[in-house]
Amino acid sequence: MTDALRTTGLGVRYRRTWALRDCSLAVPPGRVAALLGPNGAGKTTLLHAVVGLLAPDAGTISVAGQVAFMAQDKPLYDAFTVAETLAFGRRLNPTWDDAHAVARLEGLGVPLDRRVSGLSGGQRAQVALTVALARRPSLLVLDEPLANLDPLARHDVMRALMTAVAEQPLTVLLSSHVVADLRDTCDWLIVINGGRVQVSGDIDDLLAGHLVLTGPAGAGTPPAGSRVVEASRTGTRTRLLVRGTSVTDPRWSARPPDLEELVMAYLRSPDAAALPAPAEVRA
Amino acid sequence: MIEFHLDRGSGVSTYLQLVHQVKQALRLGTLRPGDRLPTAREVVEALTINPNTVLKAYRELEREGLVTGRPGLGTFVQRSIGGARLADHAVLHRDLEEWVGRAHAAGLDRDDMEALFATALAGRLREGIA
Amino acid sequence: MIWTTWRQHRAQILVTGGLLAALGLLLLGSAVEARLHISGHAPPGCPGTAAACWDLARALGDRYDTVYSIFGWLPIVAPALIGAFWGAPLLGREYERGTYRLAWTQSVSVRRWLTVKLAVLGTLVVAAGLLTSLMISLWRPVFRQDVFGNVGVFNMVGVAPAAWWLYAFTAGTAAGALLRRTLPAMALVVAVVSVTTFTLFGLSEHYAEPVRTVLSGTTVPPDPDSRLVSGAWVDPSGRELAAPPAGVCLRPPDAGRSSRNQEAHERCLFGKGYRYALYHHPPSRFWRFQWTEAALLTAGSLVLVGVTVHRTLRRKG
Repeated sequence: MTDALRTTGLGVRYRRTWALRDCSLAVPPGRVAALLGPNGAGKTTLLHAVVGLLAPDAGTISVAGQVAFMAQDKPLYDAFTVAETLAFGRRLNPTWDDAHAVARLEGLGVPLDRRVSGLSGGQRAQVALTVALARRPSLLVLDEPLANLDPLARHDVMRALMTAVAEQPLTVLLSSHVVADLRDTCDWLIVINGGRVQVSGDIDDLLAGHLVLTGPAGAGTPPAGSRVVEASRTGTRTRLLVRGTSVTDPRWSARPPDLEELVMAYLRSPDAAALPAPAEVRA
Repeated sequence: MIEFHLDRGSGVSTYLQLVHQVKQALRLGTLRPGDRLPTAREVVEALTINPNTVLKAYRELEREGLVTGRPGLGTFVQRSIGGARLADHAVLHRDLEEWVGRAHAAGLDRDDMEALFATALAGRLREGIA
Repeated sequence: MIWTTWRQHRAQILVTGGLLAALGLLLLGSAVEARLHISGHAPPGCPGTAAACWDLARALGDRYDTVYSIFGWLPIVAPALIGAFWGAPLLGREYERGTYRLAWTQSVSVRRWLTVKLAVLGTLVVAAGLLTSLMISLWRPVFRQDVFGNVGVFNMVGVAPAAWWLYAFTAGTAAGALLRRTLPAMALVVAVVSVTTFTLFGLSEHYAEPVRTVLSGTTVPPDPDSRLVSGAWVDPSGRELAAPPAGVCLRPPDAGRSSRNQEAHERCLFGKGYRYALYHHPPSRFWRFQWTEAALLTAGSLVLVGVTVHRTLRRKG
């Protein structure tokens, strides 16, 4: 099955510096992929390149089918009414499903004759999401969709996304710099740090392939067969996050990491990487 | 129809929780062979989880032969769990309720009762009787 | 895409239409009233170029001073407003508000989006310019016959306004594409339009080789609607002088607005055999100059459209 999104050696230059350097990643179809990384790491640059707003300076991007985008801050035309915003989408997209879009917004209680400037933050997000979803894309890309939303609106947006993935064949790629929102909803992880891809893979596989080891402070070398991602020492204990599936050394107690621990460890160790070989990427 | 709930802090992966809840329902008799499980969309609208998780849980249940998927119609319960259904054991159920009443009167709280029961169960299992 | 263009730019289209309608009413009102005044007070054959009509022209001028003042500013202000309110926001606002991230990620390519917008709005701008020139062409002859000699009027009739407004519009869109913010783009386009205006006003006398007419008895051109370039006194031997001859006739300075002493000096020179060589463009060159200016401005517009398209399609951060 062809990937919904694949980039190979992607590089984007901004003036003198490379905002993205040698980025290779793939997202299988039907996945909900989380793009995580600190601010300024290149998340927005990567997403803008994927949707065609930026031309790559190196490497290639290939997307299967139509891509829809919800940019950061969910831009809409403030002077338009909600109905006019839908008309805008209808006229600019031949695959537009207007009945579905109207039903969705009416079901959410968003008044069609209200100006966009008069909507609440949560309503704006729903309208922007509707505009992206109504054209039935194969890939939906969202740049920080949960930022600046109250908890109720955040939940509504995630629920809308999950429902859309359940209803139609859709791959989702969303960026965030808050990990906690994403554990139950995302099943593919991409970590980007300093313009480079550090992690790319299935979340369950990644968590199963790493361990958090706790051992005494003077434990010396870490167990054989594991690669240390991050090491930290607190008083009498050493804590390691390693890449490996089992550890027989009795000095170390092992448990699988949670998503936040995994992401944090990689972000704190910019030189570490967990990238699958091309053949390992599977649905 | 079964209503799923999610314990996000439990550390147990979501799809395992769903599998467990279906099995519990089968044991208790609230789900019977021929009943339809909620669609992935219905579960997702209620719980806001990834639909692939639901599909993974249903695939696991299908692998164990407990449910079967009929394309276009839904996922249906194939068979129940255990020889006899719990609902048939009214006597045991009443004895247990009586025991809970006595334990409560003796001053045990819920955690005490659960610990006591777990110890007794483990002890009997070790003896190979249960 | 056409509906989208209309809806996004509805306000500016309606306001411009409203202003043109208001201008039309103002011109119509003043023309009708002037006609009534003329039919009551004017000598036969006026308004016209004859000397007998000058008093009438001055009376009309005093009467319609306000209208003339508005009119006087139009050749500069109208293109500047078009550039600032039609051109600069086209791309400036999309970048500023971030809505380009919505507009350019739909199924319509950026190239098509930009092409349709430029075509629709450019056509409307040209149409508005032609309408304005039509209104002015009908209005001005009620008062004066000076469509060619007066550079300001010249730029408000014929195809000049349409060419100027198209140029200003494309300059505005280019400014918006380069600066990516509306207010700085507005400032830039006003500057560009002003510089171009003064440049072309000064350049226009070179659109053709001026005609040399030698006059004896007057320094006034035969056709008052001629575009004057320069003049020089010719001495009796036929040599052109760089400056009026000194020491030949008495030349006391004039007081106030009177030109009596100046006229006496000229009569004296003519009497001594001097003649006046006038370099000018006759009014018959009106359309030639119109098309020349329009060609220059249209060429500029095409370059600016090229800049706009190139910059926008480059897809750089």
